[in-house]
Amino acid sequence: MAYINFDNVTVAYPIYSGGAKSLTNNLINIGTGGRVTKGSGSVVTITALENISFKLSDGDAIGLIGHNGAGKTTLLRTMAGIYKPVSGTVMKSGKISTIIELGAGLDSELTGYENIYRMGLLLGMSKKEIDNLIPSIEIFTELGNFLEAPVRTYSSGMLMRLMFAVNTATMPEILIVDEMFGTGDKGFQEKAEDRMKNVISAAKIFVFASHSDYLIEKFCNRVFELKHGRMQEIY
Amino acid sequence: MNYLQSMFITLITVRKDFKDGLYDIAHSLQRINMAFYFAWGDTKARYRRSILGPFWIVLSTAISVAGLGFLWSALLRDEPSKLVPSLTVGLVIWQFISGCILESSSLLVRNAHFIRNMSIPYFIFAIQLLMRQLINFGHNFIVVIAVLAIYPPQFSAVQLLVIPGLILIIGNLAWIVLFLAMVGARFRDFEQIIGALMPLMFFLSPVIYRSSQLSMGQEIIWLNPFTYLITLIRDPIMGTQPPLFVYEVAISALLIGGTLSIYQFGKRRGKIAFWI
Repeated sequence: MAYINFDNVTVAYPIYSGGAKSLTNNLINIGTGGRVTKGSGSVVTITALENISFKLSDGDAIGLIGHNGAGKTTLLRTMAGIYKPVSGTVMKSGKISTIIELGAGLDSELTGYENIYRMGLLLGMSKKEIDNLIPSIEIFTELGNFLEAPVRTYSSGMLMRLMFAVNTATMPEILIVDEMFGTGDKGFQEKAEDRMKNVISAAKIFVFASHSDYLIEKFCNRVFELKHGRMQEIY
Repeated sequence: MNYLQSMFITLITVRKDFKDGLYDIAHSLQRINMAFYFAWGDTKARYRRSILGPFWIVLSTAISVAGLGFLWSALLRDEPSKLVPSLTVGLVIWQFISGCILESSSLLVRNAHFIRNMSIPYFIFAIQLLMRQLINFGHNFIVVIAVLAIYPPQFSAVQLLVIPGLILIIGNLAWIVLFLAMVGARFRDFEQIIGALMPLMFFLSPVIYRSSQLSMGQEIIWLNPFTYLITLIRDPIMGTQPPLFVYEVAISALLIGGTLSIYQFGKRRGKIAFWI
């Protein structure tokens, strides 16, 4: 049984100005009382998420909507355990797979095949499991011989196909996806939707941030809206 | 009562931070195969389109040894039969240690892509760095073996002490790399500071010379932590047993430094994703 429970979670980013990021500046400050260098103490904190609470369990497919900068990606990352909240508790159980930044986990000098192994290992698969999945990944991506070429020769759409294929090849228990479908061409979008349906039914929890109402309506059974760090569940 | 309560809370927090750090390390160790695959992949990738491949590592070390060996033996008025093997082993160990330290301050920053986008334990990057440097060290050891064939030392059971020596070095480098990586993630000029200090440490450490050759610096040299690390491997290879205090210091450093690093790691870990 997979679950993600947020209880009054607040996530705050420290933003360090140039001076605050310098060790020598900070050391000088100890000796001079802050008069010699300005700005070594300036750390601005941005509260990205405020008092977020919800419970997700098996069968939930969440659509996450909100304006740019509302905190969608931050929320996804906090769900995945990448960001730690400054207050509140996050309880979760289940193997998590994330598709957040395009190209994360890829090494541009390596070939498509080598990157499949790379991403697979990062996701926690064993070499044997990846070997078994290669044929289905080949068929899904339709990249053909390009899989033998270094990934830096790929277009963003091709990269997305590859990432999507590998990240959904193992049916993860919790799948977290950040608005990716834009770059795929129409043929891929249709394929991806089919695959998504399979993955969503196999995944126990699915969280999807998107600007596309169509996709959210298609895949999700609950919708959360984020506005300036605060969240509301809407139907 | 208030003082006792606050002490108690501090102890619980410290214990929790330490446990968080151990947790990450344990998860990283579970995925050690992945670290090896990546370290090996990085090595292959670096030499992908080159002619000699990873044997460039061996060649460059061999050239340094040949060139420096005979130059310094004339300058320091030392016999090549003593200086060249000592220098070779010293250079190879130094490359390993300084390689780890120089790359450690940018370790987490360089892997920001992974840290920001997937749930991954951070210590795995330290393991990867250590493995990559060990692979280089292994390649360089070929030069050491070649030099020892030309100028053989006294062979006895002492040579076996290389193994615990290597384990102590790796153990100490593990916590040092972790600690420097965190400092480097928070303070972006730390990498430059380390980059400026290491060449200086090269001359302050008994790499080219042996500590016995220093007329007055015999005690001072032992204030340098690198002296201990180098001695742990070089002395056994050359046939002498390192003095007991070297082992005592190395083990204490491992225990104390390791504990402090793991505690700090657990404490700061949550912020690292924001620093990079």
